[in-house]
Amino acid sequence: MNRKYIIITAVVAAILIVSAAFAYIYYQGQAASSQDLQGLVDDHGYTTSLAAYPNTIISLAPSNTEILFALGLDNKVVAVTDYCNYPYNFTEWRAAGNMTSVGTFSAPNMEVIASLNPDLILATAGVQGETVDTMRSLGYNVLVLDPTNITGVFKDIELVGKATGKNAEATALVNSLSARIDAVVNKVADAPTKPKVYYEVWYDPTSLWSAGSKAWQNEVIEKAGGTNIFADQQLGYFQSSAEAVVDRNPDVIVLPAEGMGSGEPFWVSLEAVKARPAWDSISAVQNDRLYMVDSDTIARAGPRVADAIEQLAAFIHPELF
Amino acid sequence: MSKDEVESTYFRRTSRWKFILILLILALIATVIVSLNVGYAQISFTEILKILGKQIPFLNNLNGSSPIKPSDESIILQIRLPRILAGALIGAALAASGVLYQGVFKNPMADSYVLGVSAGAAVGASFSILFGVSSIVFGLRLVQVAAFLGALFAMFLVYNISRVGSRVPVATLLLCGIAVNFFLFALVGLMEVIAGDELHAIVFWLMGGFSNVLWKDIWAVLPFILFGTVAAYFYARDLNLLAMGEDTAQHLGVNVERAKQRILVLASLITGAAVSISGLIGFVGLMIPHVTRLVIGPDHRILFPTSAIIGAIFLVVCDDLARVVATPFASTLELPVGIITMLFGAPFFILLFKKKKQSYAL
Repeated sequence: MNRKYIIITAVVAAILIVSAAFAYIYYQGQAASSQDLQGLVDDHGYTTSLAAYPNTIISLAPSNTEILFALGLDNKVVAVTDYCNYPYNFTEWRAAGNMTSVGTFSAPNMEVIASLNPDLILATAGVQGETVDTMRSLGYNVLVLDPTNITGVFKDIELVGKATGKNAEATALVNSLSARIDAVVNKVADAPTKPKVYYEVWYDPTSLWSAGSKAWQNEVIEKAGGTNIFADQQLGYFQSSAEAVVDRNPDVIVLPAEGMGSGEPFWVSLEAVKARPAWDSISAVQNDRLYMVDSDTIARAGPRVADAIEQLAAFIHPELF
Repeated sequence: MSKDEVESTYFRRTSRWKFILILLILALIATVIVSLNVGYAQISFTEILKILGKQIPFLNNLNGSSPIKPSDESIILQIRLPRILAGALIGAALAASGVLYQGVFKNPMADSYVLGVSAGAAVGASFSILFGVSSIVFGLRLVQVAAFLGALFAMFLVYNISRVGSRVPVATLLLCGIAVNFFLFALVGLMEVIAGDELHAIVFWLMGGFSNVLWKDIWAVLPFILFGTVAAYFYARDLNLLAMGEDTAQHLGVNVERAKQRILVLASLITGAAVSISGLIGFVGLMIPHVTRLVIGPDHRILFPTSAIIGAIFLVVCDDLARVVATPFASTLELPVGIITMLFGAPFFILLFKKKKQSYAL
């Protein structure tokens, strides 16, 4: 009997000592990096401090989701928006019960967010401004990621890395992306010309929209060795006119293709674009230099920026790639 | 009044009307020509005249030998001219139908929204954007055809709901129209919620505009608008009598029910055709008839054609402004024309009212 008690006591004591040791090591680790978790400054200048690395993360924007998965945080992300579609088809994940949807990008469902009680929420600016205020007043940790240029994307990748204990991964990702972008920039630097590029945001009988200098695509076109025909317009996306496009006579036309092939794009077909009134006098149409690019790849300020630049550079400078 | 006096009053009035109409038509032509100069591309007036002259047979060899830049020629003939003419056509159609709606309803707030016609067009357009398998039907854009059919469907729906026996009382028509209007806009809202990527397409259509209109769009709606307005003009006298009350009109020999029905069908035909290429452009149909009534008077025989021409001038000028007002901020920036119609139209309307001061009635 006595012996039995001694063995049990010894086992319990051993378990206690081992777990205490593990806990000690764990908290040592935490303490060592906990400085990372203090003073996380997001793109709106708001400072957040986390008590520990988050185990449950909600992403409220497709570009945020792409950053999280690029950093290997697959198993920490508990919910994404209906617009998140990369790197995985989350519709299938949701159907299989492996992912929750917070609803649309512009109006995330607060009840879903609250019921998941996330450790960290990655939101975006603009339409989510009010949602961000609500979530913060409910006590959630929210980082607003709102990059307007490539440097901003890198900064955000580092910020997410810092907040989630993926510092090394973040640095590696940023290094590889900037190496790929630099490679393109160096290559196109040798090109004799800087072709004029028209990037179409929207075209229908009511209006034509393109991207000005403040739009994300402006820098992407620039890095790919082209000149945005609307680079002198100090605007983001804006309503312009077919007349202005004809007058500025682009050498290359870039058309976003949603999901590349699923459904008819707003510009209907390349033939329809060429047949637009007066567009036959545009150099890009005359030389048949109209290119389709996946709209998500080119429009999201996220880790696929290098893909977008490489693709565009190949269109703008086929002689180099 | 002696017979001679009646005849001379009649003569004076008709010659005054002819004068007004000729003046307005000249103003419209002048507006179109001036508008051809408005736009991003810098094209001189002489070059524009040359480009236009080239299109006129026998005149085309008077141009001399100085060459015309091909891109300028296509900008004028394929972008600016159709856009200006579409503006004139849509402005005329909306204003003309506004006169008809206000006349039948004897209500200053009546326009194409009241009978659910605009909402019907919006439902048709949104539905085709969301569920259309092809964007082209009968050589026309599906959205255009669907908006037109939606407008007519809404009108027939409202008319049949409002029918009491063989009569369609105006009050019932108005209330049913407003109810159906809300219902249909709720459907549009519902489609916007589930639209996803197609949301832009619906939103832009609802905002209205005709920046990228094609010649073939104009040819497609012109017969409807032309037929609708010409046919409706024959009801101008009936509208004058209807203004005195339906019973009085009936006693004076108007077949009130039939007249109302035909006028509303024609008004909806005109509106449906116009909005099918422009999307929803607010305020023109509501405001232009009032402005015209303030200036010209309430007689529908002159009010109807002058409203149409003033509507045409107004929308063309608004579209000119849409092209230029924002250019100080960014040289190629345009604004949606529907915003201009309200932004500049509303203060102008209020100013005109204040100036007239005297009490105003339909």
